[in-house]
Amino acid sequence: MSAQGSPMSAQRDAEAGLGPRWRGLCSACRQVFGMPDYERYLAHAASRHPGAPLLTRAEFCAREIERKYGRGGMRCC
Amino acid sequence: MNKVGSVLLWAAVAIVGAISLAALALGRGESVNAVWLVTAALSVYFIAYRFYGKFIAEKVLQLDDSRPTPAVRHNDGLDYVPTNKVVLYGHHFAAIAGAGPLVGPVLAAQMGYLPGTLWILVGVVAAGAVQDFIVLFASMRRDGKSLGEMIKMELGPIPGTLALVGVLAIMIIILAVLALVVVKALTASPWGLFTIAATIPIALLMGVYMRVIRPGRVGEASAFGVVLLLASIFVGRLVSESPTWAPLFTLTGPQLAWALIAYGAVAASLPVWLMLAPRDYLSTFLKIGTVVALAVGIYVVAPSLAMPRTTRFIDGSGPVFSGQLFPFLFITIACGAVSGFHSLISSGTTPKMIEKESHARFIGFGGMLAESFVAVMALTAACVLDPGIYFAMNSPAALIGSTAGQAAQAISGWGFTITPELIEQTARDIGETTILSRAGGAPTLAVGMAQILGAALGGKAMEAFWYHFAILFEALFILTAVDAGTRVGRFMIQDMLGHVYRPLGNTEYLPANVFGTALCVGLWGYFLYQGVIDPLGGINTLWQLFGVGNQMLAGIALLLCTSMLMKMKRERYVWVTLVPTAWLLITTLTAGVQKIFSDNPAIGFIALARKFGDAAAQGKLLAPAKSIEEMQRVAFNNYLDAAVCAFFVLLVVAMCVFAAKICLQALRQAYPTAQEIPPQALVGRAAA
Repeated sequence: MSAQGSPMSAQRDAEAGLGPRWRGLCSACRQVFGMPDYERYLAHAASRHPGAPLLTRAEFCAREIERKYGRGGMRCC
Repeated sequence: MNKVGSVLLWAAVAIVGAISLAALALGRGESVNAVWLVTAALSVYFIAYRFYGKFIAEKVLQLDDSRPTPAVRHNDGLDYVPTNKVVLYGHHFAAIAGAGPLVGPVLAAQMGYLPGTLWILVGVVAAGAVQDFIVLFASMRRDGKSLGEMIKMELGPIPGTLALVGVLAIMIIILAVLALVVVKALTASPWGLFTIAATIPIALLMGVYMRVIRPGRVGEASAFGVVLLLASIFVGRLVSESPTWAPLFTLTGPQLAWALIAYGAVAASLPVWLMLAPRDYLSTFLKIGTVVALAVGIYVVAPSLAMPRTTRFIDGSGPVFSGQLFPFLFITIACGAVSGFHSLISSGTTPKMIEKESHARFIGFGGMLAESFVAVMALTAACVLDPGIYFAMNSPAALIGSTAGQAAQAISGWGFTITPELIEQTARDIGETTILSRAGGAPTLAVGMAQILGAALGGKAMEAFWYHFAILFEALFILTAVDAGTRVGRFMIQDMLGHVYRPLGNTEYLPANVFGTALCVGLWGYFLYQGVIDPLGGINTLWQLFGVGNQMLAGIALLLCTSMLMKMKRERYVWVTLVPTAWLLITTLTAGVQKIFSDNPAIGFIALARKFGDAAAQGKLLAPAKSIEEMQRVAFNNYLDAAVCAFFVLLVVAMCVFAAKICLQALRQAYPTAQEIPPQALVGRAAA
């Protein structure tokens, strides 16, 4: 599953240029399972809204879960 | 790929498919290996995707990668995100695959393996995949609008409102029938009930971990959640063997029904991060893991199909559900062949995440093929079982009695020889006290899976573990669906009530929310309870009501697709949606009318209501009712079911009229009138 390792590991990996494939795989899993993907949010924010204030991981995840499940989330039989 | 290579490859796939189908349909005497069934299905899927899917993409819909998709236009990093094609395929599959394709095919196995297989394969190619693909396309060209909004846009406001009411009615029925599947699986099963109950504290623990202990660490929470989940299966065995604990987890059907109703009301009122989200992650892991394991298991074990090609029950006298092959096979297997519910998913989050128009074929058409494959595997698992065991598990007590001896005698009398010892041995193998009358698909599939996975991994000793694993996997996502569905239903109810009395529509107002939730739970809870005490076993009534409703919704979605093709001036290709629409309307209207008016009380709601009502009036008791009052309730419930069925029939007839009017109008127009986002639409217009 999308084991995310120790805190800040994603940032550390990014700095060291380590495991881009591993991170890509984790991100893909999170998207398939519909989990919040904080690293992708950071990338999106950096490319589209540089300089804008960022949400923390906790804020981002809380908002994503509320957005996805708040109205129940239509799913199939 | 070079042309010759391509021709050779597809010729080879076609030959493999033809040989497999021939082995299934024509083999004489000796039993057929399940590998043929699975291989035939895969060949059909590949060929359908390569040729028919491509034809629809290029000729009918004319997908155009130069048109920006909603994800590209609005890329806001939230709802609208251009997503990798393969990842989105997984996401879409996880959203459409539920319990439906596991239940219907298992019930339909009473007619033999061939009718179900053929309908799943023909249905998915001609109707199911077409519906999912074209609805996805339509939504993608309309900024990710939902099915209801698109019906409003293209057919008008009245059809739009009608469709929404229909969707709510189907939601209520599906929630009831899914909950009923869980009741049937867990009745008098302490091991199963403990395992399912354990998922509640596990999910709460995960929720708290993700929110409070290590905020945002979803992966870590999921990892220990899965470990705890598997551990709970082992603890469940200890519970079932404990003289003190086992009775606490041994509940009757009505007790379980009340427990589920209370669960639904509480779960749907909790914050979503506490239980719904973590539970949904767990159920998605198990779902994808189990589907893959089952596919591998079937190829590794290569079991033989024990069920005959067709059984005598195609004449309509079957114990699992009543009614002849036409039309009832086609409403019993809904999901897996064609499912109206998918039109809601295909117009939900997926269209907002597509990167390029051409990806819609892989995700929409291909995603449905994968769901169909799940249905084929469920059918396989049911047909691998000894037919005697299959009928013992799926026939109501009214027909086979309540002891292994009575059941063996009744079932052997139908021509499926079985001994009481084998029935009892099967129950012992899976760690249960009885397997009788556990209709609803889940337990049958679980026994089939236990035998397949047990043969691949762990042998006889592990069968009980695999059985409870399979029950856990199905019950887990059914309970997630009950929670999420109750919320969806509550919002729909509040939307509608808001038009009548404004404060009730305010979703920020606690009393209105409580009222909406209570109403939603009360509605599905009513049908659930009715199913639990139903003389014919409940599934017989509710699953078919659901099947009619779900196929009607598919009919409505395909009517929308047909009108849209007409408005795009693609009338040359309108047969692509018109043929499946016509077939769905024919089968569901026939089934709907038979369910209401048939003289046979095993089929017709009104006939059964009369039978119980008349007997009650004369003071006679009919099993399993125990009082005149219960008799009257059975009669009333059946009149109610007839009314729901009539509503579905009238709804679809009305939609037909609206769509026909729009199509004729469009035919007279000289130019396209479909309301799509124009191709030159600006990118990034509404970026957040």
